[in-house]
Amino acid sequence: MTMTQEPAALIGKDLSDDLAAASLALARKFHAGATLWVVSPQWEPHAHHVAVEFVHPVIMGKRALPSVALVDPDPVAQARVATRPGDVIIAVASAADPRVVDLMRRAPAWGAQTIWIGFGARPAAGSADHVLWVESDDPMVPATGRFVLMYHLLWELTHVCFEHPGLLTMADDGGRDCTDEVCVTCSDEGRLGEVVMAPESEVSPALVRTATGEEAVDVTLVGPVEPGDLLLVHAGAALTRLDDVTGAAS
Amino acid sequence: MKFVDEFRDPAAARGLVRSITRLAGDDVFKFMEVCGGHTHTIYRHGIEHILPPGIELVHGPGCPVCVIPMGRVDDAMWLAEQPGVIFTTFGDMMRVPGSRGSLLDAKARGADTRFVYSPLDALKIAVDNPDSHVVFFAVGFETTAPSTAVTLVRAKQLGLRNFSVFCNHVTIVPPIRAILESPDLRLSGFLGPGHVSTVVGTRPYRFVPEVYGKPLVVAGFEPLDILATVHMLLQQIRDGRCEVENQYGRVVREEGNVAALRLLAETMTLRPHFEWRGLGFISQSALKINDGYADFDAEVRFSMPGIRVADPKACQCGEVLKGVIKPWECKVFGTACTPETPIGTCMVSPEGACAAYYNFGRMHREAADMIGATASV
Repeated sequence: MTMTQEPAALIGKDLSDDLAAASLALARKFHAGATLWVVSPQWEPHAHHVAVEFVHPVIMGKRALPSVALVDPDPVAQARVATRPGDVIIAVASAADPRVVDLMRRAPAWGAQTIWIGFGARPAAGSADHVLWVESDDPMVPATGRFVLMYHLLWELTHVCFEHPGLLTMADDGGRDCTDEVCVTCSDEGRLGEVVMAPESEVSPALVRTATGEEAVDVTLVGPVEPGDLLLVHAGAALTRLDDVTGAAS
Repeated sequence: MKFVDEFRDPAAARGLVRSITRLAGDDVFKFMEVCGGHTHTIYRHGIEHILPPGIELVHGPGCPVCVIPMGRVDDAMWLAEQPGVIFTTFGDMMRVPGSRGSLLDAKARGADTRFVYSPLDALKIAVDNPDSHVVFFAVGFETTAPSTAVTLVRAKQLGLRNFSVFCNHVTIVPPIRAILESPDLRLSGFLGPGHVSTVVGTRPYRFVPEVYGKPLVVAGFEPLDILATVHMLLQQIRDGRCEVENQYGRVVREEGNVAALRLLAETMTLRPHFEWRGLGFISQSALKINDGYADFDAEVRFSMPGIRVADPKACQCGEVLKGVIKPWECKVFGTACTPETPIGTCMVSPEGACAAYYNFGRMHREAADMIGATASV
């Protein structure tokens, strides 16, 4: 580790706030039974390190938290199979890694919350539920220990949250698991869905995976679909599709 | 900055709020959103409280349940109580009060009233119950109407004789025009609806800047989307521009969903006029089923009473929907009218302006300022 500055100098006020919010969200998810899946296509050791950090009860009395590194060359395919609704995905990657960009935009369709750790140019706003970013263009950042400091703090703060059980049952900080009643029509609902199985005929529905599970969705309005296509679903019908990694509609 | 910490990517939110504050300066702006989803996001995340005091968000007629007049609800209840009818609708509509109670009351009296997630679910009920007649009570803007259109096409393909639709779909552009014509409202611009625009595109809103000189930005549903949209509206005003912009470009295309529009044109047509609760009759603001699908039109198959019922006098939903008053300024808000016992429809749906205020406990900005609840930037 080449880090020489004090942690307080490396983690500014805004990043501290982001870390606290991410830790609370993570604690709530673990409390609800989540598994943490970790990817880092560019820097595989970080994926292993994060997973070990959470699963290993390094401090007496702290619980081991279910965490697994996904190191398949295709992280999207591996995470798609592994993830269940309510899980969390952490990516340690630059904003330019197209595999991680794609993974992050699909995760909501699988019902997973996302945390993105990286450096340099930030990902587009809203790309992940929590963005923990090192504001530096130094290409050596992944090797300096600043990521390690970040996910060590994430782990430790998550356990701090476990010491305050009252926090764990409150509504999720991002509102993504909000359970308050919402109207299908009034809220102009549009839910992200990923096609699992194309329709068997022109008049039959596609099988689509959404944050709440698999459902039959009519795709008349969006034309032929294939497994993996991302759709916007409203009242049992797909309204539009999201085609490319930039999220542009087509 | 209490609320911003709760956003997805709070760093981006903090930057937007700082920029909005700079752009707004000491001037006063009044922006209206016309989508229930936006209203919900604004209340849930306390967005009004993190914006500078000169920016007011006005909650327009974005909830299609809130604007259904009592007479149409009475017609729905009449249909539900007909012998042999299975009456289906979205959960949203079940608690909306007519002059004789709600559809839930009709269910309690023995009517076979069921709520469904999709009109296609109603169609399945019809297939499974050939000895009953299934009616689907269709409500919603252009986001929901295509699902009904697909259902009508499927019903025709299946040759069903026991299925019909009580069509109450409304369209978004006429009420925006009516609001712009309203002399008692002064708006600086609009947050355009998100998913409605996936169907209609952005072109139908061009009259807003071209005829009325107001900017409109189509917005997404994340808190960041709302902040970014307010920023884009302010930027237009400061640049001296006035146009339709699309903040929700990751989902909305300029031309909308052409297949959906084609299917809507095949199955439905504009009504000459339609009554909106609180706004009165608005020309060409709702859809009815086309003659080619008349076999599936409940208004053709049943002789419904079709009686017009005046709104309760105490209810000020109309002023709330036009943004003339805030929900808490209504005489019956929170006393006689609550989500448990709604008088006006704005209190029925969670996206209704009154219910949202009631449920999230938001207070008047001045009151919030007095106790220091408004965030500083």
